[in-house]
Amino acid sequence: MTALVLVVRRTIRASRERLFDAWTQPEQLKRWWGPKSVVCSDAQVDLKVGGSYRIANRFPDGNVVSISGEFEAVERPHLLVYTWRVGSEAGAAERVSVTFETRGDATEVIVTHERIASAAIRDMHEQGWVGCLDGLAQYLAA
Amino acid sequence: MSREAHLDAVFHALGDRTRRALLARLAKEPSMITELAKPFAMSLPAVSRHIRVLESAGLVTRAVDGRVHQCSLCTKPFETIDAWLAHYRQFWESSLEALANYTETGD
Repeated sequence: MTALVLVVRRTIRASRERLFDAWTQPEQLKRWWGPKSVVCSDAQVDLKVGGSYRIANRFPDGNVVSISGEFEAVERPHLLVYTWRVGSEAGAAERVSVTFETRGDATEVIVTHERIASAAIRDMHEQGWVGCLDGLAQYLAA
Repeated sequence: MSREAHLDAVFHALGDRTRRALLARLAKEPSMITELAKPFAMSLPAVSRHIRVLESAGLVTRAVDGRVHQCSLCTKPFETIDAWLAHYRQFWESSLEALANYTETGD
């Protein structure tokens, strides 16, 4: 079984609780969220299953783009699952899962980002015909 | 077409079983629409409509020679999907870098 997913991992020298809280508390989110070029200018988090969140991302040109969604799983300190919409995009949301796994005295943070519509790609992969398309294959995680 | 609109068109085109089956056929070899329609229990116009959706997403190109319409697979849209994934890879890698900087300094 394969699925089109983007998985990004990083081992960080901090406890799971520390990282989970940094990921879910608005005041902490504002301190680190986003790539270097982005400033998190506002964050609202209703941390419970079914609760919603909204993160404002300010770009260097002054543009502010919100990322928002609802929590599907909130299990401190090891798992977070939430839907993901950028701006006011309508239609099916993407989904982000974050797991925090202990690695000795550090924690491996694993972000899994999937787009619901990608099921179509998965089906094609199962038919075998995209196997020859370099570049796509590396994103098809076992 | 904007990149977002193109992604929408590609995902829409791929989100249908019949269209994926048509693409699977075209992955083997370019074919005429009449040939493509044979294995399907649907009319020629219906298959033609599916082909048009694939064309508008850039997944299929059509060469017309007289009354013969020859369809070929075009893999270029997958580069758009790759770009979408690359965008998010960069976003998350950079964000986790920032999270590490924030939490590892005991700030």
